[in-house]
Amino acid sequence: MASYLEITDDEKGHELSLFCVPKHYEEDLDRVIIPHGLIMDRTERLARDIMRDMGGHHIVALCVLKGGYKFFADLLDYIKLLNQNSDKSVPLTVDFIRLKSYSNDQSTNKVKVIGGDELSALTGKNVLIVEDIVETGRTMQTLLSLLTECNPKMVKVASLLVKRTPRSSGYKPDYIGFEVPDKFLVGYALDYNEYFRDLSHICVLSEQAKEKYKV
Amino acid sequence: MAEDSPVKIVKQDKGIVIEDDWPGYSLDLFTYPEHYHGDIESVYIPHGVIMDRIECLARNILEDIGNHDVIALCVLKGGYKFCADLVESIKVLSRSTNRTLTMRVEFIRLKSYLNDQSTEDLHIIGPEDLSMLRGKNVLIVEAIVDTGKTMKALLKHVETFQPKRIGVAGLLVKRVPNGVGRLPDYVGFVIPNRFVVGYALDYNEYFRDLNHICVISERGKVKYKL
Repeated sequence: MASYLEITDDEKGHELSLFCVPKHYEEDLDRVIIPHGLIMDRTERLARDIMRDMGGHHIVALCVLKGGYKFFADLLDYIKLLNQNSDKSVPLTVDFIRLKSYSNDQSTNKVKVIGGDELSALTGKNVLIVEDIVETGRTMQTLLSLLTECNPKMVKVASLLVKRTPRSSGYKPDYIGFEVPDKFLVGYALDYNEYFRDLSHICVLSEQAKEKYKV
Repeated sequence: MAEDSPVKIVKQDKGIVIEDDWPGYSLDLFTYPEHYHGDIESVYIPHGVIMDRIECLARNILEDIGNHDVIALCVLKGGYKFCADLVESIKVLSRSTNRTLTMRVEFIRLKSYLNDQSTEDLHIIGPEDLSMLRGKNVLIVEAIVDTGKTMKALLKHVETFQPKRIGVAGLLVKRVPNGVGRLPDYVGFVIPNRFVVGYALDYNEYFRDLNHICVISERGKVKYKL
C-alpha cells in the first residue's frame, strides 16, 4: 500500500503573504496548500522509494506531457542524484508521451498514446510512468493495459498528487506524493488554461480567478 | 569643467568559448553514475557551471523580452533538461525583479542523429499543429546546434505558423566547418566539434541520465552502438 502525505479536506493551508508568490497572482489565489519546498522534500523521498524497488534493472522513465513535465524533471533529478552517488547505479532512459483521452457514448474511456519511441523499447525494462495528478484513475488504468502488451519487466506509476474524489475508480498509483482534496488546485505542475505554471507552490484558486482566466 | 558623460558599452554575450584543445576535467574529481564507468573520457562542462550559465541566459532573456508573453518551444528529447532549468531560472529571477514573464512551454520532437553522426533527414514528430504559436513571442529552446541544418528546418517549420517573433536559445553551439543558418540569440557555450553527451544529450538514448556534459570514450561509442 503506497504511503502518501495526506492533505485533509479541512486543511487551511498558509496565507499567501507568508510565501513568495508572483505579484500578478496575488488576487487570484486563496491559500498556499503545498509549499514548493515540501513538494521537493516529498519528491526526494519518492525517488529513494523508486530506486529501492526498481533500481535492480534498466529503468525507462515515461513522462506524461504536458502536466507531468515539471514533476518528471524534479523527480528524475533526485533519482540521478542517488544514481551518481552510490557504488551501484542503474541505467535510466527517458521518453515523453501525450495522452489523448476521449469517451464514447457508452462513457467507457479510450486513451490514445501520442509520441514516444516504439513501444518495443519498453520490453523487458522497468517502466516508470510519471504523472502530475490522478483524479478518476481511468486514464492511467487504460494506459497500463496498453503497456502490458509490450511485455515490460515491471510497470509502476508515480503521481505527485492523487485527488480524493467520489469519481475515483479506486485506482491508486504505486508512488504517491500527496493525497489532496477535491478542490481547484494550481501551481507547480498544475495549470489553469496555461496560467499558473510560473507559480512554484500549489495553491487553491479563488472563485473570481476561475472566471478571470477562463478560456 | 565639463561633466563626463557616461559611456554606454553594449556587451554582446556570445557564449563561453571552449577551445579545441580543452581536455576536460578528470572523472575522479566529480560524481557520475557507476554504470558509465569507462564509457566517458572526461567531464567537459560540469553541471554546476551549466546551471550558472543558464542563470545568466535567463537574465539576458528577461532583459530582452520581459513583460511579454513568451511560449518556449522545447525541442525533445535533448532539450528537456535545458528547457526545464532555463524556465525555472527565469521564474526565479522574475520573482525578484519587476518584470513578469508569463512563460508557457510547448514540446516538439526532432530526430536527426544516427550514432554520433548528424543525418540529412529531419523528422519532426508531433504535434503537427503548432497554431498556438500564431502572433506570439516564441523562444525555441534547443540543447545543441551542430551543422545548423536541424535549426534551419525547424525555424522554417515554425515560421509557417506566423508567430510574432522567434528567438532561439541554444545551450551548446558547435564550431563546425560547414555550419549553416543563424546562430542562436542566446548561447550557453561554444564548443569544439566533438561528440558530447550528458545533461539530456544522448548517444543512442544513453547518457541522458548523466548530469555533466562529457566526452564519450571510444569504448562507450562501441558499447552503445546501434
